[in-house]
Amino acid sequence: MSDSPILFVRNVARRFGGTVVLDDMSLVVERGSIHALVGESGAGKSTLTKVLAGIVRPDRGIIEFDGKTATIDSPNAARKLGIGVVLQQPGLFPERPVLANLFVNREPLHNGLISRREMEARSRELLRQLALDVDVHAPLGDLGPGERQLVAIARALLENPRLLLLDDPNSALDQRRSERLFAVLRGLKARGMSMLYASNRLGDALAIADQLTVIRNGRDVLSKARQELTASEEAMVGQLRQSLFPLPFRTLPTLAGTLRPQITVEGLTGGSLFGVSLTARAGEILGLAGSGAQDLLALLFGLRKPRQGLVRFPDGDGLPRTQTEAARRNICMISGERGNGLMPDKSIAFNMANVVVGARDWGSRWYSPKAARGRATRQIEALRIRSAPEMPAGSLSVGCQQKVIIAKWLEIGPQVVLLDEPARGIDIGGKQEIYALIRQMAASGCIVLLHSNELSELTGLCDRILAFHQGRLGGEIAGDDMDAGKLLKLIISGKPADENRRSNRESVA
Amino acid sequence: MTRTETAPPLAGSVNHQTRRSIRLPAETGAAVALAVLVALLGWLNPSFLEPANLLSVLGQAALPGLLAIGMVFVLSAREIDLSAGAVFHLSAAFAALLMLAGMDPWLAGLASVAAGACLGLINGLLAIALRLPALMVTLGTWWMIQGLSLVVGKGQAIVPPGLDSGFFTTLSGKAFLMVPATAIVFVLLALVMHAVLHRTRFGYRVQAVGSNPQAAAYAGIPTSKVRLLTLVLMGAMAGLAGVIHVGTHGAIAPGEGSNFALQAIAAAIIGGTSLSGGHGSVIGAAIGMLILQVILSAMGMLGVDAAWSTFAAGALVVLALAIDRLVKLWRSRRVRHDQHNPPG
Repeated sequence: MSDSPILFVRNVARRFGGTVVLDDMSLVVERGSIHALVGESGAGKSTLTKVLAGIVRPDRGIIEFDGKTATIDSPNAARKLGIGVVLQQPGLFPERPVLANLFVNREPLHNGLISRREMEARSRELLRQLALDVDVHAPLGDLGPGERQLVAIARALLENPRLLLLDDPNSALDQRRSERLFAVLRGLKARGMSMLYASNRLGDALAIADQLTVIRNGRDVLSKARQELTASEEAMVGQLRQSLFPLPFRTLPTLAGTLRPQITVEGLTGGSLFGVSLTARAGEILGLAGSGAQDLLALLFGLRKPRQGLVRFPDGDGLPRTQTEAARRNICMISGERGNGLMPDKSIAFNMANVVVGARDWGSRWYSPKAARGRATRQIEALRIRSAPEMPAGSLSVGCQQKVIIAKWLEIGPQVVLLDEPARGIDIGGKQEIYALIRQMAASGCIVLLHSNELSELTGLCDRILAFHQGRLGGEIAGDDMDAGKLLKLIISGKPADENRRSNRESVA
Repeated sequence: MTRTETAPPLAGSVNHQTRRSIRLPAETGAAVALAVLVALLGWLNPSFLEPANLLSVLGQAALPGLLAIGMVFVLSAREIDLSAGAVFHLSAAFAALLMLAGMDPWLAGLASVAAGACLGLINGLLAIALRLPALMVTLGTWWMIQGLSLVVGKGQAIVPPGLDSGFFTTLSGKAFLMVPATAIVFVLLALVMHAVLHRTRFGYRVQAVGSNPQAAAYAGIPTSKVRLLTLVLMGAMAGLAGVIHVGTHGAIAPGEGSNFALQAIAAAIIGGTSLSGGHGSVIGAAIGMLILQVILSAMGMLGVDAAWSTFAAGALVVLALAIDRLVKLWRSRRVRHDQHNPPG
């Protein structure tokens, strides 16, 4: 066997609509090694993985597999080459049993019929290694998220690929399971399997990788072997995102004695939340992290019904009963989830009228395209959206799409701003602008609540952060304590006592 | 087909270009198709172009056309109403029965429009309460309403009394000796409802909900109310068509209007209303209904067996869908191509 690299990616580019996802990406995976691909979310990791898996076709660029130029134009082509893949959102079938999910489209046959016994025999050893102790005949939907992720990994491993692509494979795994997974991966490497490991967690990548490539805005900016990485480079990689955040007007004038508008929440229970009490004041960005934080936003926006608890908004009323009521009371919700905010086939002007015309029931009964155009022109100018009002909103880059969503709420002068991962999947430049906008909203006297799964986003942007643990308030950090590590500890464990109980229960399960 | 695009390079982010487009009205395609069709038929048979004949086609298009107007709203909100034809029939039967019972014809007509709206309300309430798409709900209510009209009509035509009263003479009358009253109602309502869809808050909400229901809900648009109202509007339009049918024909016979719902959907699609919601054109649907009726009457004129008319209507829908789709695919391919090889 030659020593040539197993995978050679040269100048691959891909765009979706107006968004450049992969710009000019190159990378080399050596035989029998683990190559980590590190970058922000939205940098292009997942797209590169999908290109290599035959799910997305590149617009240009060359892919060489095993020394030969390869056209990977379908998932089957990838499979034939010996490329296995674990996607971030694996296509699994929750209603089907675990076994069926392990052998999708290549079930072992016995006399022309699918043989369950053979499936069990083939998968038993691997599941043991992965410490996945579940009933393989139970439907996959009954499993926890971590177990489901392991099933997806097991499925890829069962194909015995020569090159395994892993896209953020441990996002739903706890520490113990992650380590177990890493051990399995190292074992496979020792047996000659090559791997491309995409992650936005530098720590994981450094722990497992032989080589490392940093991807930013769809380009490879650094590619080195793990041991050649100098301390300063390591620090650089770690600090990629530091410059992202606008220097806050941190020295908020402490308006002693004056009454600032605020939201008070007392003993709120609903969704996965249990007995949460907090106060959010105008002028500050309050971060929310952990499980249950998303439900808090949903409750405050009227998307969910509370079971119990008292909430008081600055306008003196309680929780809105519907989203419409929330919008009319100047409570706004900006979600980073694709499809929650934009009408891509309609013009920017149409989108900007969403709240002013669509949600309100006062003002003119007419929809005036001219007024809408004027509104859009103003906001396009103010937020630098770089397009024209009559363009369909879907033609914008993801960052500008998000700005359109923010702008339509700015039109009503919001008092409470609820942000749910507002910068998800956006390129760095766009993120910077959106962070600056969020800062501005707080500075202009809005009450801003920000939920994010990217802890560095929270620590970089927020004045205070509340950590939720299993739907309960775990703790608060502010000021100099602001540090992703401390925050993570609060989210994972809540309290030390909690941690013991949790690990006990898990070992029982 | 309906749009020409030029690409002046605006200052873009990263490498991304924005394109400015000059839009012709979305109805242009359908209008051109109608003009070509009429010209072709006039060339084949000059008597087709006589005003009396053209106006009678317009009169034929009026009743299903009223349903098409309502259907544009329903489709724009990403719903579909299969029961419209049955609502049309039941409202007509209801009006005729009220007149038989001695009610004033105008009052009976008004009551039947309200009855149609009520049927639409029931559709809407079911769809919202059960969280089902209107497609499934109206599939069920379609049969129920059809069954009800069979029950009330006992399988026979219902003929209201007093066919010489003002109600009947007005509706079956002709303005300027040749323009049928129904055609006037149809054209006026099409213009008004077009403005409602594109220039009012209600119309805005309908398009917003159809374009992306999730985003509409997140923007605080009352989505359930909007869906409910479009279905009520559809019912009211079908009821109105039913009342006018009784007024012009002086009777309602079993089976009449059974294909109106599909014709209305077809007309809306031909007129450029998107089946996936978000965009609709009432004027386009009116033109679409005219195309449909011109083809149907041309088949009679050219001596094609009437049995082929249903096939032809279906083929027309498939053709309209295919053209619309191909133009979109071609356009998006060209956009991508241009982006790889930027001009200049």
